[in-house]
Amino acid sequence: MNGDLARYIGRRLVQMIPTLLGVILVTFILFNVVGGSPATQVLGKSAGVRDLDDYDRQRGFDRPLFWGQWARTRLFNPNQWGKGAAGLWRGEGLEWASGEGGTRLKVSRLAVVPLAFDPAADTVYRWEILGRLSSGATAELVGLEGEREIGRRPFSSGSGLVRLDFTVPEKDRTLRFEVRVEGGTLEMEMPVLRRALRHPWDSQLYYYLAQLARLDFGESVSTHQKVSRLLLDGLGPSLALAIPIFLISLMVSVALALVCAYTRDRWLDRVIVVTAVALMSVNYLVWIVMGQYGPAYRWGWFPIWGFESWRNLVLPVWIGVLSGLGTHVRFYRTVMLDEIHRDYVRTAFAKGLSEGQVLFGHVLKNAAVPIITNAVMAIPFLYTGNLLLESFFGIPGLGGISVNAINSSDFDVIRAVVLIGAVLYVSANLVADLCYAWVDPRVRLG
Amino acid sequence: MTTNTENAEMIPGLRTLLRRLWGERRARWCLVTVGIFFLAAAYGEGVYRYSQWRDETPGYQRTNLTERYLPPSPFRDPFGQARRSGAQTVWQVTVGGLHTLAHHPMGTDNLGRDVFQRLVQGARIAFLVGVVTALIAIPIGALLGCLAGYFGGRTDDVIVWIYSTVASMPGLLFILAIALVVGKGLLGVYLGIGLTTWVSLCRLMRAEVLKHRDRPYVVAAHALGLGPMRILFRHIFPNVFHLVIITFSLRFPAAVGTEVFLSFLGIGVQGEPSWGVMISNARLRLWQGMWWEMTFVTLAIFAVVLAFNLLGDALRDALDPRLRVRDN
Repeated sequence: MNGDLARYIGRRLVQMIPTLLGVILVTFILFNVVGGSPATQVLGKSAGVRDLDDYDRQRGFDRPLFWGQWARTRLFNPNQWGKGAAGLWRGEGLEWASGEGGTRLKVSRLAVVPLAFDPAADTVYRWEILGRLSSGATAELVGLEGEREIGRRPFSSGSGLVRLDFTVPEKDRTLRFEVRVEGGTLEMEMPVLRRALRHPWDSQLYYYLAQLARLDFGESVSTHQKVSRLLLDGLGPSLALAIPIFLISLMVSVALALVCAYTRDRWLDRVIVVTAVALMSVNYLVWIVMGQYGPAYRWGWFPIWGFESWRNLVLPVWIGVLSGLGTHVRFYRTVMLDEIHRDYVRTAFAKGLSEGQVLFGHVLKNAAVPIITNAVMAIPFLYTGNLLLESFFGIPGLGGISVNAINSSDFDVIRAVVLIGAVLYVSANLVADLCYAWVDPRVRLG
Repeated sequence: MTTNTENAEMIPGLRTLLRRLWGERRARWCLVTVGIFFLAAAYGEGVYRYSQWRDETPGYQRTNLTERYLPPSPFRDPFGQARRSGAQTVWQVTVGGLHTLAHHPMGTDNLGRDVFQRLVQGARIAFLVGVVTALIAIPIGALLGCLAGYFGGRTDDVIVWIYSTVASMPGLLFILAIALVVGKGLLGVYLGIGLTTWVSLCRLMRAEVLKHRDRPYVVAAHALGLGPMRILFRHIFPNVFHLVIITFSLRFPAAVGTEVFLSFLGIGVQGEPSWGVMISNARLRLWQGMWWEMTFVTLAIFAVVLAFNLLGDALRDALDPRLRVRDN
């Protein structure tokens, strides 16, 4: 049996792997592919280009999603192109023209390409400029550091692409890039500047996986704390709220379900069922607002805000229990009634056992399997289940942290909470299955 | 508990179903409530479109600072007001009183906006959210569930993998994350709720189609040389369609509740009075004694959600006796 159990756990752990990979993939798709870089949301519209670039670079958002050789950089970006940015461009004989295929710049002598900030040292950058030369004209892209030339590439006659790779030898060197044209005009499209990666797999996905492997969930933008630290700090208050809610609502709803089963189809049962459906239909927000207004504010029975003593927890625990009670009672009642119509119950009654003996001795035991499954599957939700309660009552738990993170677009925190929640759910699934086997000997570990 | 094909209960048609529901007192009340809710939503949509078309501020957004914090009309002694304003005869007092009764019947909020009109707009948004999320979630769940149940094998493995992945994401937070990534507004709410709530239908469908796969009528269709898609969607699907209706009636109130939550957090609808926005507004005014906005929103949500919950139970009893929850 013990070997069986170990083998079963082993196999279930292996089965968890695809789901976990799926969860990682979903969070990646959600936050990186769909979401993209939250730099402007986080740093605000007025943030400098350099800060935005640093943000992206630190969090790997400038890299390609899956693989590639080049990363994006804001060193030269679309804000620096077009009539609106004409003031940034110095030179002689510049003329902006917009037509199909975007804005073009006509250069007849010299154009100095503006850079948003100084490029980073020891990094390979590459210019890509698409240009069309008028007949008889020659043009080249020249890179200068002070007066020293660091690179030079000619435009081919007709239309063609010019590539120029360059590196900055040391910090704080000012670079300048000039497009020099002689004997005609060069019509150029928006230049593209890219940063080279160390290796082609140095992508966002790689960055994300490496981060996860280090159990590093990033850093909160608003508090500048490590996300893992933040979440660990929040765990205690969260559990202080969630565990009482969980235990009380489990006990109360199982007890009420037993009462229902005992008085089935009589008035008490009806009243409980109707109340349960009514409780289910009250919006969660309403519970909180009413609770804070009535018992806390009007009658002053409980403190409204804070996390100092157990008295702070009484009201949120009550609200948490009440708001979930309807669903739970109905569920457990169905479970009990399912059992009550079984043959063994009829046999037990036929043998002359009392209602109480049958209910507690037989029905409750057999109903334990679905009850335990339901309870175990509720455990992962203990961790984030009380988003609103925590943020309304000022309890510094994970739920409150998540709501704050949502308000301040703190993507690293949200991603970590979602990810950990999913891992907990998958683990709880395993535990629930093991509980099955433990409670019900008929379940074979097959 | 194998269901015997010969004894399998007939699934009633739409007309029979409605007649049966109408025959039950409780279900009839639910249908009436849902009907009123639908009419309010349609009227709200009309008002919204009309004001868009005329390019003017709609009534529910019009502020009136001289009539702020006006209680609901029955609490304002409308007849006394009519008498005070110079009405002499009983007739004049009655007409004047009725006129005042119809003026801001549910009072006004802190900016003098009419609570009743805002409530109707909230119904419109709740209805939109319920329907659009269902239109996203139900096709995904039904299609994947049918495919997984019918084809089995590799297809089943992949689909089970997809739905168990989605099921493991922590529900509300996942919705919030999607809504946040997509951007604030109704689109984020639709996608957030729609893309996360198809799993239960998919599971149900898969299990049900699996049971139908070896039934004689399917075997017969197969023997006639019909293609798998035709068998699945023309023959099996109508027999499991009741699951779609049940799921819809149970998902709808949940979606309404989630929308209220998202709008309350400021992620949902922007610049329009949804019920969540109204609660968030009324919550702050409750402390100043403005109880009416909160009360009416609460009652509206309660009535709609309760009606859908009860209707869902009634539908389940009528359509799928094995899933019966009441009156065992």
